[in-house]
Amino acid sequence: MKAHKIFAWIAIAIGAIYFFVPLIGTFEFSLRMRRGVYSFDAYQSVFTDAQFRATFGFSMLMALVTIVVGMLLIVPTAYWVRLRLPQMRPVVEFITLLPLVIPAIVIVFGYLRLYNSSSWIPFTGSTQGTNILLTFSYVTLALPYMYRSVDTAMRTIDVRTLTEAAEILGAKWPTIMFRCIFPNVMSGVLSGAFITFAIVMGEFTMAALLNRPAFGPYLQLVGANKAYEPSALAVIAFAITWLSMGLIQLVSRFSKLTPSRP
Amino acid sequence: MSFLVLESIKKSFGQTQVVKDFNMSIEKGEFVSFLGPSGCGKTTVLRMIAGFESPSDGAISINGKNQNTLKTNQRNIGMVFQAYALFPNMNVFDNVAFGLKVAGKSKTEIETRVKEMLKLISLEHLADRYPYQMSGGQQQRVALARALAPKPQVLLLDEPLSALDAKIRVSLREEIREIQRQLGITTVFVTHDQEEALSISDRVVVMNAGRADQIGTPSEIYNRPTTRFVASFVGTLNIIEATVVDPAANTVKVGENTIRLRESIGALKGGDKLSIALRPEAGSLLENAKGDTSLTGQVLSSHFLGSVIRTKLDVGGNQISFDMFNSPDAVLPQSGETLTLRFNAHDFLIIRD
Repeated sequence: MKAHKIFAWIAIAIGAIYFFVPLIGTFEFSLRMRRGVYSFDAYQSVFTDAQFRATFGFSMLMALVTIVVGMLLIVPTAYWVRLRLPQMRPVVEFITLLPLVIPAIVIVFGYLRLYNSSSWIPFTGSTQGTNILLTFSYVTLALPYMYRSVDTAMRTIDVRTLTEAAEILGAKWPTIMFRCIFPNVMSGVLSGAFITFAIVMGEFTMAALLNRPAFGPYLQLVGANKAYEPSALAVIAFAITWLSMGLIQLVSRFSKLTPSRP
Repeated sequence: MSFLVLESIKKSFGQTQVVKDFNMSIEKGEFVSFLGPSGCGKTTVLRMIAGFESPSDGAISINGKNQNTLKTNQRNIGMVFQAYALFPNMNVFDNVAFGLKVAGKSKTEIETRVKEMLKLISLEHLADRYPYQMSGGQQQRVALARALAPKPQVLLLDEPLSALDAKIRVSLREEIREIQRQLGITTVFVTHDQEEALSISDRVVVMNAGRADQIGTPSEIYNRPTTRFVASFVGTLNIIEATVVDPAANTVKVGENTIRLRESIGALKGGDKLSIALRPEAGSLLENAKGDTSLTGQVLSSHFLGSVIRTKLDVGGNQISFDMFNSPDAVLPQSGETLTLRFNAHDFLIIRD
């Protein structure tokens, strides 16, 4: 075996150890709740906790709403930028990257300052309003990933010609959007949706500072007060993320919507 | 009154005027090709007919109705794109049915019409296929069926054959022409391929720098080009610089050869320069060849091209190419040899810029 191949394998082994040892350790620790034997007691304790079900359900709902709102905002934006405003691409790309640069805590303090109960738009004045604000903040957080996945999917189809083809056949904008464009960028939409789902399920800062009963703050609460359950929850959170990643792979692999190009 | 009328059409993008005072009348059922090099404005004119671009000035009317104020989806025009533009998420049936569904036709009506269209393009057996499962030629035929399904009043073809290989191009262009004749649909075809334009059109519009340089039948365009651009763009042409000898007698001199032209020289004086053109296939080297005129010069080169032999002759500083059909006993002229090319005086065209 050549020397550079040995170094490559060593690098892979170090990387794998770096990532997997803590995970294996966490998993192993989560099984130790019952003294002397391995058991799934910690998982049972987590799943039977009413607060777990409530926070998990809340975060799932928020994730779904975030995906819908985000996609309704991002697909038409990416579409218009590609079709009519290509000169705006750098501006839109810059805006969508901002959530990666500005810390979540800064964003949420900005929200609280702008939308507090004594402001012009008092989102935080009611539970429903705060939930809406939380959805918007999740959309902001997911913006870089959602935009890129949708934009990449749009790059694989000839958006302009497809639009013109539909238009000359008599189609109006809603038909063009929902029957010709959306189905053809579905792999990108779904990839963005799964990433968003993973982000929302584990998000802590926004939910904690807006005082909403989400899964992230619950993870923190359990971590501060219990021994084995936090490890079980960490494994569950990883499982959710991996499932989302697996689904992204599945969607892109089985996408039959290969563009029709000469 | 003509069916499709383009009246003083102009189009500018910023400071650049890409279409300059374009006028054209197309009769119902006519097949017209816009021919020209890249950037001459032919696609822009087509896109203005479709409604994708608005004219900066001028009017477009179809069947007497002004189209300028109508949106693309209100014009009832069919279009086939170079890139096929089939919807990847729909199978062949749904692609062809798209326009009919948008128009709100009944299920039975849609099914009948789609079947009719698929039969027209001989692809009934591929109704369930998706675009990615078909060849380029098949996809373009489906695109044609999709454009024709809603019974458009005009069919626009935007370089539909450019992405296909040579053999498919020839068969598909014949198929397009056959279908167009069968349906009697007014068709505008954009191409930069002169063979395509000349072979399937009723009339050809040769465009240059945003203007229609010449509009005529394929034969007129090829045999009687009116501008230097048309003469040089369509087919191969020898442009010969001649000197006027006697304007009254229409005689000019090329090297040591004096030629009497059929066409009037016009207001030129003796000694003035004049450009005349000659197709390579017009002349013959045979002693007994018919023709009232001849040019004598020295052979520069001679090449065997399969069906023809192309020889370059130097006549008074002009390089003249001429073609003769190949035959098993043909002898290639040798460089430096002196030859006499015979032809008819009416084969000469006077090029007026």
